[in-house]
Amino acid sequence: MRIERIALKNYRQFKNTEVLFNKKLESDLHIFIGKNGTGKTNILNAINWCLYRDEPHLSKDSHQLPILNLKCIEDAKDGEDKEVIVEIHTKTGENKYIMFKRRAVYRVYKGEEQPIHQYTKFEVIANDEKGNTEIFEDEEANSYVERFVPKAIREFFFFDGERLDTYFRETTAQNIRHAIFVISQVELLDSRVEKRLNKILRELRKEAGKISPEIEETRKRLEEEEDKLKIIKERIEGYKKQIAISKTIIGECNRKLRGVPDVSDLEDERLRLKTRKKHTKKLLDEKVKVKQNLLFEYGINIIMWPAIEMSIEKISEKRKNKEIPPTINKSLLDSILKNKVCSICGTPLDNKTEKNVTNLLKEIKLSSSVAQQLLSIENPLYLLKEKIKQFEEKIKGLTHEIINYENELEDLEKKMGKIDKSLSGYNSEKIKGLHSDLKKFQDVHDDSLELLGRSKNKKNEIKENIKIHKKIYDEEIKKEEKARILRKEIDFCGKSLNVVEKTKEDIMNENREIIEAETKKLFFKLIWKKETFQDININDNYDINLIHSMGYDCLGSIGAAERELLALSFTLALHTISGFDSPILIDTPVARVSDEHRVNLGNVFSEVSNIKQMILLFTPAEYSEDISKLLDIKSSNRFLCKLLPDENETKLEVI
Amino acid sequence: MSRVPDRINIDKKDRELYNKLDHEEMLRHKDKGGRRTRKEQFLIAMAIGFRNKIRRPLESKEGWFLIKDLKLEDEALIDSIAVYSTHSVDVLSNREEVFKIVEEYAHAGIRLLVDKIFSISHGSFEKQFENELNNMYSEMRLS
Repeated sequence: MRIERIALKNYRQFKNTEVLFNKKLESDLHIFIGKNGTGKTNILNAINWCLYRDEPHLSKDSHQLPILNLKCIEDAKDGEDKEVIVEIHTKTGENKYIMFKRRAVYRVYKGEEQPIHQYTKFEVIANDEKGNTEIFEDEEANSYVERFVPKAIREFFFFDGERLDTYFRETTAQNIRHAIFVISQVELLDSRVEKRLNKILRELRKEAGKISPEIEETRKRLEEEEDKLKIIKERIEGYKKQIAISKTIIGECNRKLRGVPDVSDLEDERLRLKTRKKHTKKLLDEKVKVKQNLLFEYGINIIMWPAIEMSIEKISEKRKNKEIPPTINKSLLDSILKNKVCSICGTPLDNKTEKNVTNLLKEIKLSSSVAQQLLSIENPLYLLKEKIKQFEEKIKGLTHEIINYENELEDLEKKMGKIDKSLSGYNSEKIKGLHSDLKKFQDVHDDSLELLGRSKNKKNEIKENIKIHKKIYDEEIKKEEKARILRKEIDFCGKSLNVVEKTKEDIMNENREIIEAETKKLFFKLIWKKETFQDININDNYDINLIHSMGYDCLGSIGAAERELLALSFTLALHTISGFDSPILIDTPVARVSDEHRVNLGNVFSEVSNIKQMILLFTPAEYSEDISKLLDIKSSNRFLCKLLPDENETKLEVI
Repeated sequence: MSRVPDRINIDKKDRELYNKLDHEEMLRHKDKGGRRTRKEQFLIAMAIGFRNKIRRPLESKEGWFLIKDLKLEDEALIDSIAVYSTHSVDVLSNREEVFKIVEEYAHAGIRLLVDKIFSISHGSFEKQFENELNNMYSEMRLS
């Protein structure tokens, strides 16, 4: 089935737009190019709205706007009804034309911000090759949608290109399991058949319980164990999900932190160096102060050395001449001569004695006060001399210590500078956040893994208990003749449940294997690096592994383009298994791929469009020269989304 | 008999110069966050005047610190300068003369010291002072 035409009336930016998807070439490729805000993504939303009555890809801005075109609201009279219509015209492989049409009517009031919804009508008009027309509404119309692209699996047909980038980076196993589950349509078995059978089984058991208290007792025990099994199964699923989420986040953090320094460690190291630097600086400052004091103190003494030296020499000379310490008091002799009386014995001086005293006074060259002063400074002067002698050794020691501290500081500065350089250009807070997330989710992963193991053991234990209780229950029920029919019914229900469970498992496994093979086939057909990869497998846990030619799983380390190709191959494999040959529509398909790989993906799109209808929505930046050169010639149609000057309407120009 | 002074004087005009010593960490007064006393600042000014052999009589006196603050070591230095300047120990009996001599050396020295601090770039005084001391030390005859 392919889309032949889309008609939009008053749908958001599209006032009256018709897009024809004529297939002119072998490839069924159709391209829309539009700047952000021109309504490109609303083509994707229009398809969803028409088929499923929702708009999952609506931008934040569009959310606040009415679905009814703004220009239409502006032109409407007060109280006038205006309609939004989206029509999707499709053609099946059997040349049957099916048109999906959703029409919503809104009443416009001038005073109201938003038009008031009146009603919505959805219909499907089917024409066969003979020209017979049938119109379907409600359930019947919806069943046609389910035959085109079922709502449950639409995410694999109409999606944002971001999905291709993140599909195998986020909770991969969960995604794959979910995809296979949805595509396999086993939900029917799961939600309807299995649940219904369980309900019936329990009702029958209850009925049997009424026959004898022993049966009732054993039933209770059995069902208690069954309830426990249900809980533990849910827990196991929860742990699996936790493991998958944490694995994804760990991978994402590691990817983002590749080549990025461990900021926390470096900052800790920097803090340690800073503390050491502060301590060293303090020691240096102390030593500098000690040296300053030494220079000051010794400086005065060294400068004064000639005076010190001379004083020491003079004192030494006086000592040699026995002038110090003084033996006679010069002042006493002066007093005796002045008073002409001996100050010691009181005898008056005669001429001879006076002459002797005068001669003695002449011989005394040093006054006692001078001698006393010299005596008092003698020792300090010698101490100063000894002190000065130590100057060289002390100053050298201190200088050496200061140089060591300065060198240490320089070394610390260098180390800190190196850390600063390593950290420059990085958003420290973000990196710290990533490291913290990494640690947190590693813990979550490890804890969940442990809990999963324990729960699996518990599950086996409960299963064993169920077996035992079931046996006891069966024996108990066999004893009662009245319960014979009920026993048969219970037995039948039990067996049916087993069949349903096994069927579900078989379908899932079978589809997993087919999808694995199909993904592999497509990926290796489309990949541009033919020698790099060796294999793709999806294991029992639904983990996908891309095996490098060297033999290791390299999914976590491949580039965005290869990852998108893998996701696209997987999506196309899902298409195959789903049996729905519907078109694929991708919004911004190469947004996350670097320029050099865009061409590779362009080639892939071109090849895929040979097998199915492909509608791609590009921004002008994405639709680079290289892509344009490649896809211009391959595309059947190219449309340019242009916003008119009043910004309320988008026109599509055919390029 | 000469009068025994109780304090050491500086020239009144030198107060401003002493304040300028606060620009150099090694010489900064303790009241300004440094480690030096008035006595120590006076002694270094005295030593610089002595080193340059310049004495300047004080024009107007201002008491700077008390004689009782002098330690024996300080007194020994002051006396040595007086002895060296007069070539005689007799001067020691005249304390007024001894202090006058050192005051005059300090009066000349403080100006030289401040000029030195401000003539060289910040932080270099200490280095230059250390170099000069090392040179002086190497020429000393210490037995």
